[in-house]
Amino acid sequence: MTEISKKPGEFTRSLVGHPVKVKLTSNIEYRGILISLDGHLNVVLEDTEEYVGGSLKNKLGDTFIRGNNLLYISPMTRKK
Amino acid sequence: MSEKHEIATSSIQKEPAYTEAIRQPLDTVRLALGERVYVKLRGERELRGKLHGFDQHMNILLSDAEETITHIKFDPVTNEEITSKTTKTSEMIFVRGDLVILVSIPRRAA
Repeated sequence: MTEISKKPGEFTRSLVGHPVKVKLTSNIEYRGILISLDGHLNVVLEDTEEYVGGSLKNKLGDTFIRGNNLLYISPMTRKK
Repeated sequence: MSEKHEIATSSIQKEPAYTEAIRQPLDTVRLALGERVYVKLRGERELRGKLHGFDQHMNILLSDAEETITHIKFDPVTNEEITSKTTKTSEMIFVRGDLVILVSIPRRAA
């Protein structure tokens, strides 16, 4: 297993370019490729899919998500 | 004095609109200036309009905007959720940043 950084900032930066799951406090989940993020945890995702209650609700393309709405960012293994 | 001024303006001028390396989330939004965007807001509100401007708080200025408000009511008799939508249009609208959940940018023609 590859070494995972102990610093949150380094960890999130290491996810750039990879598929991630972003959950918001409203329990809505966004899945897509992490393009960039900043200190506020503002996030940009590519090929974004909106999941509400586990089911796909919307496809949004490139999406900027304002950091204050975030609950977590988690790496995702792509299902085929 | 002049040095301070340089720092304040450099971040804007250094970013060519066509750059491939997008470093910050806000740069991605900057690329969408002048295009029609979809903005999701708190309180089941959505906006579609042409992006005129924004700032670091995500205060947003849209023109030719259409606002969609989704009302969700719970019917205690049938145990069903009743949703209804109302739309409003405005020539120009300013949105306070703290209400913004996301800004979706249309695919750029490659």
